[in-house]
Amino acid sequence: MALKFKGKAWIFGDNLDVDKDIIPFRKMNLGLITFDNLGDWCMTNVDPDFPRKVKKGDIMVVGKNMGCGHSHQQANKAIKQCGISCVIAESFDRNFFRNSIDIGLPIIEYTDIRKMVKEGDHLELDLHRGQIKNISTAKTLNFTPLPDFLLDILEAGDVESHVNKLIAEGKV
Amino acid sequence: MGKTIVEKILAKASGKKEVSPGEYVEVRIKTYIQVSSDGGGTPMPETFVKFGWDKLWDPSKVVIVPDHCGSYTPLSYDATNNNRENHRRNSEWARNMGVPEENILDLGRVGNCHHMGIEEGWALPGSVYVHADTHSMTVGGVGCFGPCVTASMAALLRTGLTWFRVPESIKFNITGKLQDGVMGRDVYEYILGQIGPAGAIYQVMEYTGPVMDEMSMDGRLSMCCLSIFTGAKLGIVNPDQKIIDWFKARTNVPFEPQVSDLDARYIKTYNYDGAKIEPQVVVPPLRHTVQNISAVEGIKVTNAFIGSCASGRDEDMRIAARILKGHKVHPGVMFNITPGSSAAMMRSAQEGVIATLLEAGCFICAPGCGMCPGYYTPLTKNEVCITSSTTNYPGRMGDETAQVYLGSPATVAASALEGKITDPRKYL
Ligand code: SF4
Repeated sequence: MALKFKGKAWIFGDNLDVDKDIIPFRKMNLGLITFDNLGDWCMTNVDPDFPRKVKKGDIMVVGKNMGCGHSHQQANKAIKQCGISCVIAESFDRNFFRNSIDIGLPIIEYTDIRKMVKEGDHLELDLHRGQIKNISTAKTLNFTPLPDFLLDILEAGDVESHVNKLIAEGKV
Repeated sequence: MGKTIVEKILAKASGKKEVSPGEYVEVRIKTYIQVSSDGGGTPMPETFVKFGWDKLWDPSKVVIVPDHCGSYTPLSYDATNNNRENHRRNSEWARNMGVPEENILDLGRVGNCHHMGIEEGWALPGSVYVHADTHSMTVGGVGCFGPCVTASMAALLRTGLTWFRVPESIKFNITGKLQDGVMGRDVYEYILGQIGPAGAIYQVMEYTGPVMDEMSMDGRLSMCCLSIFTGAKLGIVNPDQKIIDWFKARTNVPFEPQVSDLDARYIKTYNYDGAKIEPQVVVPPLRHTVQNISAVEGIKVTNAFIGSCASGRDEDMRIAARILKGHKVHPGVMFNITPGSSAAMMRSAQEGVIATLLEAGCFICAPGCGMCPGYYTPLTKNEVCITSSTTNYPGRMGDETAQVYLGSPATVAASALEGKITDPRKYL
């Protein structure tokens, strides 16, 4: 099964706002019909070099209320496009949570994650098994996996591709 | 064990006897679904082409609204990034998909998308109502469950189905009576000041008590519209007779309003004395630095704005007119008032409210989002704005050096009059 990821941890704080912190509002190209090049602006208000420093597969580890503020899906897409494989947060804003599933950005909710992971730690994630392995500290953390139908959407890549699967199976 | 209004709405919508917080439910959407040319949403015509979809779940339930961010202005000077163009594309697509002509609305019949669900009777009490924009939760003010479903929208239009996680509810019991000049807006910002930006993460804020019973529909809608800024899934108010009457006058579609049981389970209850709430002001650059007005009185402003999904309703324009009547807007201030919808603008014109505002020197903008997202009369370098719109981070309403203070429509009007942040109570 897919939904296994390996990468280096990047640590961020609480209450990261969609338009203020995750992607500058004026860079979202609201109203444009494409969602290209959003990754170039991912987290640049917090760390201007972030998109250049991230390696494909890296993992964001953040605090509480991740993705608060407006529901602009450009923020989720910016994170995905800049190469982040998964976001682990102590808690998620509900709109950010929902958009992540729909656009296919894997997420894990884990209270206290920042006590268990330091910047640069190597992590291995398994969303189906509900496991976070911190290779750097040789500790394994367990969490309750998302329900299967949400994992199905993540696996399909986005909600539209998931609908196409359901159409092909004659379910909708 | 009793159930909350939200648990009851979700149980009914998912065809279950009852649901509990934490559970995931699948829901078939029965209300109208608005497709507006909004900023965060998924572009429908392109997405349908990309995934090879050639039909809508139920075209008769789809409405096209030329929102979002000032459908009358380009988003930039690039002709491909233009809201009129977006609207034309959406309308053509909808026609081809079999959406009835009367569901394809254009300027003159519309306004801000979140005002529309209420004006047209689409967001029915007791129902699940979906929209792609953050502030769809506004409709909680009439007892409708309306969380935004931004990136789900295309899939939902194709299948009619979507999912929700049943949220926990927090009860906010506001007792006593508000002072004249203290509005629903102030009650919400006061609560934000008390519980902070992460005070209700993924939860429902259910507003109850004597203050809510007294409060107009407009005030309730404004409070629910803002509930996102405490991290909430949505805010909601149990609908009463005035809400039911409003919808009965607007739609023949049957609806079943729901209200919370007396023994419903809340994760927390907060009690606040409404009489003690002062006009509140949110100070930039953060959305959650909330102060009593006395702490910021006297700060000079260059712009004032009433409008957006958080205001621009009848009551908001009425109170501004009450404060401005017989006075002039301060010469150093541009005061933009943007009615939320054509219908609200017409009622205000009939009442004489619009004439009073024009006499005072206000700029009345065409119904829509107005200055809120910075597309219409954007703030320029170092300007200072007081507004009853939704949010205030740098660059939101124009130039990144401009500062945005948030307050109630009454506070905005009094401040526009004096050219500095002013307590509205002395004008009432
Ligand atoms: S008024 Fe502002 S917050 Fe509301 S829908 Fe329009 S742009 Fe968004």
